[in-house]
Amino acid sequence: MHPVLRLVNRNITISINPGFLIWQIIFPLIYIFVAGFAYTSLIDDVPFENIELDYPTYLATGMIGFNIMNSTLISGIIIWNDRRHGMFEQIMAGPFTRTDYILSNICTIGIVGMLSAAIIAFVGYPIFFDSIEFSAFTLPILIFASIFGSILFGSIASIISTRLRSSEGFNVIINTVFLFFAFVSTAFYPVLGTPEPLATAFYINPLTYLVDIIRAGFFGTFSNFIIIEMFVLIILAVGLFSIATRLLTRLDF
Amino acid sequence: MSCIVTNLLSKSYDNVTAVDEIDLDVKSGQVFGFLGPNGAGKSTTIKLLTTLVQPTSGSITILGINAIKYPLKIRNQIGVVLQQPSYEPTLTVEKSLEKYGMMWNVDRKQRKDKVEELIESFDLQEIRKKKNEDLSIGQRRRVQVAREFMHEMELLFLDEPTIGLDPSARRKLLDFLKNKVKTGLTIFYTTHVLTEAEYLCDKIAIINKGKIIAVDSPNELKNRFGNEKTIKIHMAGIQQNLLNLLSEIQDCKIDFNSGTNITIHSNKSELVLMQVLQLLNKNNIIIEDLSAMPTNLEEIFIKAVNDSNASSS
Repeated sequence: MHPVLRLVNRNITISINPGFLIWQIIFPLIYIFVAGFAYTSLIDDVPFENIELDYPTYLATGMIGFNIMNSTLISGIIIWNDRRHGMFEQIMAGPFTRTDYILSNICTIGIVGMLSAAIIAFVGYPIFFDSIEFSAFTLPILIFASIFGSILFGSIASIISTRLRSSEGFNVIINTVFLFFAFVSTAFYPVLGTPEPLATAFYINPLTYLVDIIRAGFFGTFSNFIIIEMFVLIILAVGLFSIATRLLTRLDF
Repeated sequence: MSCIVTNLLSKSYDNVTAVDEIDLDVKSGQVFGFLGPNGAGKSTTIKLLTTLVQPTSGSITILGINAIKYPLKIRNQIGVVLQQPSYEPTLTVEKSLEKYGMMWNVDRKQRKDKVEELIESFDLQEIRKKKNEDLSIGQRRRVQVAREFMHEMELLFLDEPTIGLDPSARRKLLDFLKNKVKTGLTIFYTTHVLTEAEYLCDKIAIINKGKIIAVDSPNELKNRFGNEKTIKIHMAGIQQNLLNLLSEIQDCKIDFNSGTNITIHSNKSELVLMQVLQLLNKNNIIIEDLSAMPTNLEEIFIKAVNDSNASSS
């Protein structure tokens, strides 16, 4: 077996544990089925591009992007855990190169991201199936969003993992990043109607781009703005991945 | 055949020279002990030899391969147990052994057999289903060392592998390593426990301030540094004026203030002992116990490091 595949196998084994799966499935389900329906009495239809979506549909599709971010942030901290528990040095003393290690992390993050997107799409499907506009672009767009979204958020977690040394610092940063990404985005609510500074902050957040693209894929609402968002997602993912790789290559023992 | 050869190997970090032009020649099939005080450069040397860090200058040849040019080739043929603990907290002991074998591309059947063999050899039966995060430091260390034997290797680097182990686990590990050496394995072994080095090593190098200050077999080191012997005499009663009597004896250093114990350090220990015994006999002093201490590695180590510090200052 190729060294990268061996490391992916190991990464997935250590990442996927009962706690991780509960966090990945139960948490989004609560959002979709509890918050989604509970807020229906307060929130009518939500505008997205040129269509109107009911709130549970809007939220369920947003949760796919949210879950990609959530799972890849967790997978991205494999590097942190490896450094903290001495496994990074041990792996580098074994039959692997740094390139093998970096590639294996990206593959793990991609696989976990795709799986978590698929899980939420599957469980949320009964809620949004009425509004779905399937086209030839639906699946490619969703795969595109999963891959680039995973690389982007996985790279952010990797960068944080390589820069910080203390557990306290790492926890503060990763939780702050998570809160900003999760709640200053269009995953839970639309931009329309939010105060101007908040609306601007939404578009500093890459999760906004990711969930917009996922919704466009499901509901067939492609516009020039969505295409621009796709380019921004590519540029951010490639840029952050390059930085993460550079930092990881320079990491000393 | 030489397994490790270094030539003028150096490593500096920000103007601090951690390893200073060391030359090593480790023969295949032996246990090579690498001793030194804290911060002497032992772990940096191991990191250089295992290709984890690049040297500032000098050359390294491991198993006949240029380690600076072909680090991956080297890493494919060696095993490394680093000083710091390394483990996957969420995996059980047997799962972490199995996964480590998988990482080394050991086939499934062989992995299964190896896991059972190592669980037996390292007394891990009771903790095989426990997660690494729930183990004690000593248990985790045992798993870490056992794990390295999941794959085949020609050369094994062990950086203080017995940290946290109880005396019985320590002896069991040393015996396990001795048996492995009989099958042709070469071991590069660092430790602070000098009795371990004496028990296990065929050859010993002492490093201080980044420089090798002595390399030889334990016996040769004793001959070189350990001419001075220590003799301890325990007397039946307190002898207040013995110090004056003992001061007449030449060629030795005698520790005695008052009380019932005399400690003699001398290069001519047999001659000095005769004189002391005659003196005690003449003064009707009864001896309760007498012991001659052979020079041990600890004394050699301390003497070699002190000599080196004195000459460098």
